[in-house]
Amino acid sequence: MKRLSRLLSPLLIAALVLGSLPVAAAPAPAGNDLVGTTAVLDAASTQSDRAKIREILARDDVQQQLLAQGVSPTEVEARVAALSDEEARQMAERLDQLPAGASVVGALFAVFVILLVTDILGLTDVFPFTR
Amino acid sequence: MTGHIRPPQRRNARIAGVLVIMACLLLLAGCASAPQVSPATREALPDRVKLDDVPFHGQRDYQCGPASLAMVLNAGGRDASVDALIPQVFLPGREGSVQPEMLATVRRQGMVPFRIPGEYDALLEELAAGNPVVVMQNLALPAWPLWHYAVAIGYDLPDESLTLHSGMTPERVVDVARFDATWARSDRWAFVALAPGRLPASVGVDAAIRAIADFESAQGNRAALPAWQALAERHPDAAMVQFALGNARHATGDGPGALAAYRAATTADPELAPGWLNLGLLASREGDLQTARQALDRAAALPGPWQARARAERASLDQEAEE
Repeated sequence: MKRLSRLLSPLLIAALVLGSLPVAAAPAPAGNDLVGTTAVLDAASTQSDRAKIREILARDDVQQQLLAQGVSPTEVEARVAALSDEEARQMAERLDQLPAGASVVGALFAVFVILLVTDILGLTDVFPFTR
Repeated sequence: MTGHIRPPQRRNARIAGVLVIMACLLLLAGCASAPQVSPATREALPDRVKLDDVPFHGQRDYQCGPASLAMVLNAGGRDASVDALIPQVFLPGREGSVQPEMLATVRRQGMVPFRIPGEYDALLEELAAGNPVVVMQNLALPAWPLWHYAVAIGYDLPDESLTLHSGMTPERVVDVARFDATWARSDRWAFVALAPGRLPASVGVDAAIRAIADFESAQGNRAALPAWQALAERHPDAAMVQFALGNARHATGDGPGALAAYRAATTADPELAPGWLNLGLLASREGDLQTARQALDRAAALPGPWQARARAERASLDQEAEE
C-alpha cells in the first residue's frame, strides 16, 4: 500500500501541475506581442491580479454549474466562452440568485388575490384581463 | 364570551386587516406613476415611434428569453430561430434564462450587446434611433417574482404608452406607469443588440468601449473592427478608442492603419503609456527606428504597469543597433 502511494503521488502531483498550467499561463501576454485592449481596460479599472485570477477560475466553475443545471455538455463550452470576464464572475458567484426570465408564476391562491389587486392598481402586470 | 357580540368586531378586524395589507403593498411596491421624461429629451424625440420591422416570435413555456433574443437578432439581420437559441441561452435547472447569458448569446450570434443606462429617457432614445430594446421586468411583486423578458418596439409620448412584443402578444400596448413599475424591479435592466459598426444612441463612450472589447474577446479582432471604426468616428478624441482601433487593425494585418491609430491615441492622451509602447513596438518591427525610439522613450518615462516592459524594449532596441 505504501509502495503504491509512493508510486502514485508523484504522478498525481505532476498531473495536477500540468492541469493547472494553462490557467496560470492564460493571463500573461504572449512573448513579443503588443499590449492588448482588455489588459489596458482591466488595469484602468484598478483590477488586482487576484481578481483577475478569480475571473479565470470562474469560467471553470460556471461550466460545472451550467452542467448541473442541465445544459448539454456539447453546448456548455461555447456558452461559457461567450461570457465576458465580469459576467463569468457574476455567474460563478451567484447564479442561483440571478433572476431568470421565465414569465411563469408559481404562487399560491392568496398571492393570486394580492397580485390581482396590485394589477388593478397598476403596480404589476400579471393578468392581462385586468385591463 | 357570547356569540352575538363577536360578529361586528370580526367585521372591523377584517376591514382593518385588508387596509393593513393594502398599506404594506403600497409601501412594498411604491406608487405607480409615469416616469418623468426630461424636457431636453422630449424636445429632441418625435412624439411617436413604432419599429415595424421587428418580427414577433411567440414564446413557448418559460422561453421568453430565447424568443426576445430571436426578435432583436432578426431585426438586426441575423438569421436565428427560437429553436436554435434555446440550447444556447435557456437554463433547464432554472426554467429560465439569466441576464449574463442573454448578453453572451448575442455575442455568439455575431452582434454586439450594449447595456443601456437604466433610465426611461435612454429607452426612448434607443427606440427613436430605430433600435428595439430587450427589457427585463418583474411582472409581479418582489416577494413573488415573475421575471420576464420583452422587446420594446415603440412609444407614444402624448398617450403615455409603450408598445412591446411580449409573451404570446405581439405589439402589446402598455401604460407607461405600469411598465415602469415592473421594469424598476429589475433595476431597469435593458440592452440593445447591434451589428458591429452600428452604435447605440444612449450609451457613453466608456461603456461602449467595454461592450465592444467584450465582443472582441468572444468573436475576434476581425469581427470587432467595424465597431471600433464606428466608435472612433463618433469619438475621434477618445484615446482609448484609437488605441483599441490600432490593436484591431494590427491584428488584422493593417500595419500603417494601426500606426496611425496609435499616433492618434497618443495625441489625444500623451499620458497613455500603452499607446506609446505599442506605437514603439510596431514602428520598430516596421523598421522605423527613429519613431520607435521616441515612442519607447515616452512610454518608459510614464510610471505604471507598462514602464518596466517599455524600459526593457528600449534597451534591447539600443543593443540591436550596436550589433
